[in-house]
Amino acid sequence: MAAVKPRAKNPELRRAMKPWGSFSWGYSDVGADIFVGLGLVLGVAAGASNVAFLFAGVVYVCIGLAYTELAATYPVAGGGQYFVMRGLGDFFGFVAGWAVLLDFTIDVTLFAWSSVDYTSQLLPALVNSVNPWLHFLVVLSLVLGLCILNVVGVRESTAFNGAVSALDVISETCILCLGFLFAFRPHLLIHAMQLNWPSPYQLMLGTSLAIISFVGLESISQAAQETQRPASVIPRTSISLILTILIFALAYSNLALGLHPWHPITDAAGHPLQFWQIFPHNADNQGKAVALLSAQVPYYGAFAALYVPVLGAVLLLISSNSGVFGSSRIAYAMSTSNLLPSTFQRVHQKFRTPVISIVFFCAIAVLELIFAAIPGLFPSFEPFYGRFFRGEGGLGFLADLYAFGAATSYSFVFLGLISLRLTDPLSPRKFKIPLNIPLRFRGERVEFPVVGVIGFIGIFSILIFTLQTHPLGRLFGPSWLVLGVILYLIYRNHRRLPLLRSQRRDWRKAQVEILRRAGEFELMDEYTANVKASDARRAEGSVP
Amino acid sequence: MMIVRAALAVALMLCGGVIVVRMLEWIRPAGWEILPGVFLGAAMIALGAHRLSLIMRARGNA
Repeated sequence: MAAVKPRAKNPELRRAMKPWGSFSWGYSDVGADIFVGLGLVLGVAAGASNVAFLFAGVVYVCIGLAYTELAATYPVAGGGQYFVMRGLGDFFGFVAGWAVLLDFTIDVTLFAWSSVDYTSQLLPALVNSVNPWLHFLVVLSLVLGLCILNVVGVRESTAFNGAVSALDVISETCILCLGFLFAFRPHLLIHAMQLNWPSPYQLMLGTSLAIISFVGLESISQAAQETQRPASVIPRTSISLILTILIFALAYSNLALGLHPWHPITDAAGHPLQFWQIFPHNADNQGKAVALLSAQVPYYGAFAALYVPVLGAVLLLISSNSGVFGSSRIAYAMSTSNLLPSTFQRVHQKFRTPVISIVFFCAIAVLELIFAAIPGLFPSFEPFYGRFFRGEGGLGFLADLYAFGAATSYSFVFLGLISLRLTDPLSPRKFKIPLNIPLRFRGERVEFPVVGVIGFIGIFSILIFTLQTHPLGRLFGPSWLVLGVILYLIYRNHRRLPLLRSQRRDWRKAQVEILRRAGEFELMDEYTANVKASDARRAEGSVP
Repeated sequence: MMIVRAALAVALMLCGGVIVVRMLEWIRPAGWEILPGVFLGAAMIALGAHRLSLIMRARGNA
């Protein structure tokens, strides 16, 4: 390809991000998830939706703490893939990275789809069940538009991200405060929980869907690469981010179950319904839950009904864009570690962007969109989907794969965290997850992370729930991983690199370089001193 | 600005406290079903305390 050339020298990213920039980057990615997740969870978990969010939320806090520690210790953009590669080796690093890439491609389609759903609240012509072709074409044009924007190098600025995030935090706070003050009835919440408790299958399905409200923590490590003094800043901002997202998810789910609607809601026969009852078996409503909820807050709802769909659509589009951008960046990082072919490092001569990565992963996103949209576009395919995929399609299909990719990659991140605590105790950790068991491993004093084990059990059980309850996730998720592993083995064999073992790397030198680039000179000195002391102990023979 | 931030953090903690207390009032009729609400309140208190500790540290540095 004439217009494309390998990047001769890897230009360093400018470290200019401040704490608010770091927070808003993460928020614009993870904060949008509740706009998608709330309706899906209410649709299946009914009276136990808040419990599903609580379980997923507790797991998410563990994941968030793990990412915070790892991103502050190893502030590189590769994120989960890098941590797993460093802790468990090349092969598992590839599997984790490949699962993250699945999530990013789904992220592009799912959030573009949901962005159109929110817009349909103001423009009813865009409702998927009314005009499936128009809905499909708008989502497709959004995905293609984001692809082109990323190729030519236009990215939403940190200032724009910050402004949208600030607006959203204020808006959601208003909706929740006023909602709890004027429309929340505790007896309705208890009534919904006691009379509409779902079956264990539905609860597992709801919990696996609830985790999609907390996906996007890769942004913490991406922000770490561009933040000044990341070891100090990242723990501050990401703990605020984790708690903010958790509060919103728990508050929305509790409010939705205990909401006394401002305008009465009735079914076709005229019987009154509780607010959450408009979600089961209604994909159109599931796609725009926050907009529907905000419109039911007394008085404020009249105003919120106008701006929340727009704010939601913009936030979701930013999140969709982060999928396009993130996938190309992860692919680039994996390619530099010899986990993917060097093609993914190639940058466009004129635009200086990784054009092949962007186009490749956007093409996959478009394929996923087509598969999700087929039952709506061609009703003749519905029996086929009904027979083989329990009739799933649309948002359900995308959410299935999203949950699978997230649960898989996060499971590996916990294993990577535990492994790095044992094998790399010398790297200074400015932030360390609480609850550790001190012990000796290979002659070094290490701290075994109890929260890492709890988090792993939690996310692994969500992975099991996903495989158990999502027919499409069960089929396409593992297929994606198997396809990736085959490609990985072919590539490594072609490059004459170890297939299942890791390449030899000088991690000590790499760590010094990472800390130097991050401007963490004190930590760099501390690390060098730790290494020297460890080497001296080994030379004396005090360490076996 | 720092005073406003501190006031917001304290307000957040108070709101969290109110939610926890309101939820605990329902413990007899509802049982463990108040748990998500209690966690919500606890998360709000934790976030408020985290923000307050950052503000105090920044003030100490200044």
